[in-house]
Parts: sequence; C-alpha cells; structure tokens
Amino acid sequence: MHNFGTVFRFEVVRTLKKKSFWLVSLLFPVMIAAVMAIMYFSNKATDDASKDYDKQKFSFQVKDDSGLVSKGLVSAMGGKLADSQEAGIVAVKEGKLDAFFFYPKNVAESRIEVYAKDVGVFDNGRYDGVAKSILQQSATATVSKNTAAILGNTIESKSVTYRDGKEYNALMQMIAPGIFLVLFYLMIVTFGNQMLNATIEEKENRVIEMVLTTINARALIVGKIFSLIVLGFLQIFIVMAPLLLGYLLFHDNLDLPNFNLSELPIDPLRIGIGFAIFAVSFILFTGLLVAIGAAAPTAKEASSFFGIVMVFIFGPLYAFSLFISSPEMPIVQFLSYFPFTAPIPLMLRNAVGNLELWQAFVAFIILAITAVIVMLLAVRIFKYGALEYDRRLSLKEIFTR
Amino acid sequence: MDLMTEDIISISDFTMKFGKTTVIDKLSFVVKRGETFGLLGSNGSGKTTTLRSLLGIYTPTSGTLHVGDAPYAVDGNVKLGYLPEERGLYKKENVIDVMTYFGQLKGMSRHNAHEVSLKYLERVDLLSKAKTRLDKLSGGQQQKVQLGVTVMNDPELLILDEPTKGFDPVNRRLLMDIIEEHQARGATVVFVSHQMDEVERLCDRIILLKDGNAAAYGTVKEVRKKFDGESLDNIFLKVYGQKAGQL
Repeated sequence: MHNFGTVFRFEVVRTLKKKSFWLVSLLFPVMIAAVMAIMYFSNKATDDASKDYDKQKFSFQVKDDSGLVSKGLVSAMGGKLADSQEAGIVAVKEGKLDAFFFYPKNVAESRIEVYAKDVGVFDNGRYDGVAKSILQQSATATVSKNTAAILGNTIESKSVTYRDGKEYNALMQMIAPGIFLVLFYLMIVTFGNQMLNATIEEKENRVIEMVLTTINARALIVGKIFSLIVLGFLQIFIVMAPLLLGYLLFHDNLDLPNFNLSELPIDPLRIGIGFAIFAVSFILFTGLLVAIGAAAPTAKEASSFFGIVMVFIFGPLYAFSLFISSPEMPIVQFLSYFPFTAPIPLMLRNAVGNLELWQAFVAFIILAITAVIVMLLAVRIFKYGALEYDRRLSLKEIFTR
Repeated sequence: MDLMTEDIISISDFTMKFGKTTVIDKLSFVVKRGETFGLLGSNGSGKTTTLRSLLGIYTPTSGTLHVGDAPYAVDGNVKLGYLPEERGLYKKENVIDVMTYFGQLKGMSRHNAHEVSLKYLERVDLLSKAKTRLDKLSGGQQQKVQLGVTVMNDPELLILDEPTKGFDPVNRRLLMDIIEEHQARGATVVFVSHQMDEVERLCDRIILLKDGNAAAYGTVKEVRKKFDGESLDNIFLKVYGQKAGQL
C-alpha cells in the first residue's frame, strides 16, 4: 500500500478546498436553522400573546354565539362586545379596531374567526393566541381544577415497562443504536455523488496513464475510498454539530420533544452491533459507487446508476413495519442477509431489538466479505476501465480480462 | 560497467490481441541502458500498445516484457518518467499541488517535490502560475507542467509517447533540451515520434513497427544501410508502401 497516505492526504485536502463541499455541508444546517428561527419567533409571538394577554395593547371586540365566553373576562382585558359579526369585521377593515373575534355556536366543529390589523408575520400570532386564551379561560373557570387540567391537556403520566424482569423503555432503547441508521442515510444521500465521481476525474482529464505508471491501482482506489469515508464522517459532523447545538440551546422554545440525554439507555452490545454494521455497510457502498464510477466513461453516465444503488439501499424502507413486527418472515430474512439491501433492515432491527447476536454476526461477515470483493472489483474495474475514455466497460470485460 | 551493454527494457515474443484482432505479433526487442531508442511506426502500428503493456497498464496476451530484470512495478527499482500520448492532469487543482503530489507518488519527500517543482516552474517561466489552477493555463503551459511532472524525479528511464504532439516550436525546443540533458546524464530515453529528423538526430537505435511486427530494428546507421542509405523519412514511406504526401 505504498503511497496510500499520499493519495489519502491529496484527496482529503483538495475536497476540503472545494466550495461545493462546504456548500452541501452547511446548506442543510442553515436551512434547519432558518426553519428553527421561524418556529422560534412564531412560537414566541403566540406564547407572548396568550400568556400576557392582559398586557396586550390592542383594541378588540368579541361576538360570541357559543355562549361560552365570559363577558367579565372580555371586559377585564379591555375588550368589548360587538353588535354583529359584520360590524366587527367592517370596524377592523376601516382601521377603527385592531381585532375582532367571532366565536361560532359550535366551537367543537367550527373555527374561531379572527379578523385583525396586520402587524407583521411574527406578531400576527398574538391575535390567535388571545382569541383562544379568552375561550379557554372562560371555559376552565366553570369547571373544577382537575377537569380544567384534563381539558387543558396538562395531565402528565409515567409509564414503566419491563423486559426479562428489568425496566425497559423500548423507545428510548432505540435511540442510541438507531443513530447509525440516520447517519448511514445522511452520509449516502449527501456524499453518494462524490463517491460515484471519485475516479471520473482521472478519466475525464486523461490523467490515468500518468497515475497508473506512478502508483499501484489498489493503493489509489483504497486511498480514495478511505478519504471518502473520512470526508463523509466530517461532512456529517459539520451537518449535525450545529443542529445538536441548536437543539440543546433552544429546544425549550421550539415545541420539540424534550428528553434528558443523561437518561438515554446505553446498551454497549447493540451500539457496537449498530456501529459495526454501519461501518462495513458504508465501506461496501463506497466501494460499490467507486466501482460503478470507474466503469463509466463520464460523470453523466455514472450518475444514471446512482438511482439503482439508491433503490437497493433505501427500497427496504417500504417494508419498515415488517422489520419491526415480523422479523422471522422470509422477505425480512432475505433483505437482511442480501448484502446490497441489508444495511437498513439490519440497523433498523438492531435498533428495535429483534436482531439476534448470531444473526448480526452472520450478516456482518456477509457484508464484510462483499465489501472486500467489491473493493477488489473496483480496483480491477479502475485498472481495466481506466483507458476506456468513450465507453462503459461491460460485465464480461470486467471478469474476463 | 558499460551502460550500453545492459538491457533496461527487454521484450520477448510479445503478443497482444484485442478480441480476435492481433495488434502485436511475437514482437521482440531490447533497449540498452543509457541509449536513446526510437519506437516508430504509423498510427495503429502498435507503439502505444507496446508501451502500455510494458508499463503494466495492459496485460499482454503472451510474451515477457521486462523493465530492468522484472515486469514493471511502480515500486520497482527503475525510476520511470512517462509522458503518455493521452495527456492530462488534475485540471481543477493548482499547478504546484499537482506537481508536488506526483513528486510524492514518485517517491520524493513532500518538501523535495515542492522545491523541485518550483525550480522547474522557474526554468520554464511558470513560477508566477504556481498557485494557478491548471485549467486556467494555456494548452502550451499545461504541456510544460506535464513535462515537468514527467522528469521531476530525474528518471533513469524516460519514455515519451509522441512528446512533440501539439507542442509549439518554443515548447518543442524546451522538450528537446530536456531530453538532451537527460541523455547527457546517462538516462535511457525511449522516444515515440513521427518527426524523423528528430529521431535521426536524437536516437542511437530504432525499431520500426508495421502491423505489430518489427519491419526494421537496429542502430540508425544499420537501418539506413539496410535501406540503401535512404533517410528515415523515406524508409518510413517505403515500409508503409506509400509515396511522400500520401501518409
């Protein structure tokens, strides 16, 4: 593996210099951050409006056909009762009134109607908050504290489930080993094209003869594959780190599920299996995409095969429920052991806890052997397909040369 | 040791078939260490196939092709400089990065490869372009860089497949100077060319291929003698059964 380090360094450094790498890496967290920001400001405006309704400095009138609204509450908040729905709407339109709320006769089936002066995309949420708050407070004032809690959906429950006599939270148990499934998906989706095009440049730039007489094809391909693996992990880190940071800092303000990371169950065996399957699957598909790229004369032609690989990888997701509920079914077994469909079923089954240790071991061996064969094949294809500048190498040529 | 008596390249009974087509048929010849050897022939005569097979890019159908005393290996004991017919470099990378990378692949330290690259770029008036992307250079400038990559490790065997193809007169002069420098310090040069005047001036011995066989092989003097003292240009035309202007 003479020169492996030189190839690895060259490939990593030149990829890190590419704007497209950083664009793809940062686009996703920037988009998520933008969505989070909108959610944050929207929620904040609505919360401010509902919590501090008494501090809201806007004029409003109410028409209540439901008979549920407390006139005293409306009055205490500085509101008035409107003569009719039409009059209330006209007053808002003419700018004489900031907001008008119409409560229909049957609030369970019809919507509360809110008509108001526009005060911007974030602050408009306050009207809706105040309208709902008036109705909610009016209704809860007529029932007991317990009933109010039930109606307000503020009741909390605590479930304790057991497996083999020990406390077991199935959902929480899924999270740590399930992370590898998410990582695999993200890495293939964001980095797949780069894997496919890893050897295309040598062909398109006619640099292949210089390369093949200077470095062993195996060292070149393995160097490229390992650089792709490292870059893939780096890209995922760049994508995930800001998201994780954003979640830790702002989850209270975003209506996101909140759980204590310190209570996350850590099952070393399942995490180990998840990592092993993830790692060998990633190497396998990196090798496969590099091999396909080596067989194709141009980036355009190589990309037409990308979809086929994606079908193999992510097609099994359509049988999602079977992997969880019926792991013994033949189709599940087949998809779990056929190397090109195995990653998703194996990682999913490992996450939900129905992948036996011996099954994971057998599948890992199958994936590892396939990965080695695919890498050797990638070297062979690169060596023999490298000088085919204008046409794709056929399967017959790959195996008979 | 007499350099010119030791074979640096030995090809014996080399046959190459692509499908049912025989491109090279039992070709044998040697190149002696320190000489300049011309590999001649018209388009499709098998010159590039021979070189690619010699350097392990193609697997020969039969026969033995040795560089030194064994088939060519990138980590073998013969330092090679190869300028292929199909040329190109990593066009989206900087000149200095590409040269340093190839220098390292050829066994030089990163520092040494960098220094040698800068020195070469200075010689060919490209120092100011060291950090320029290759695809921003003109065709002639790219050829200079490619030539630099070929010779930067001071090869003991320099194989040049149609080196003057596409070169303007200035770059051609530069190339010839570089070849002569390497000749002078004892390097073996294998030279594929259609420029018979250059071959006649530079080469000690030649082989003229026709249909995958040696139509003529020996020193320039011997070959000319065999063809009644004709120039290499006329010998070439005679072998291919053409009159001047028809090739």
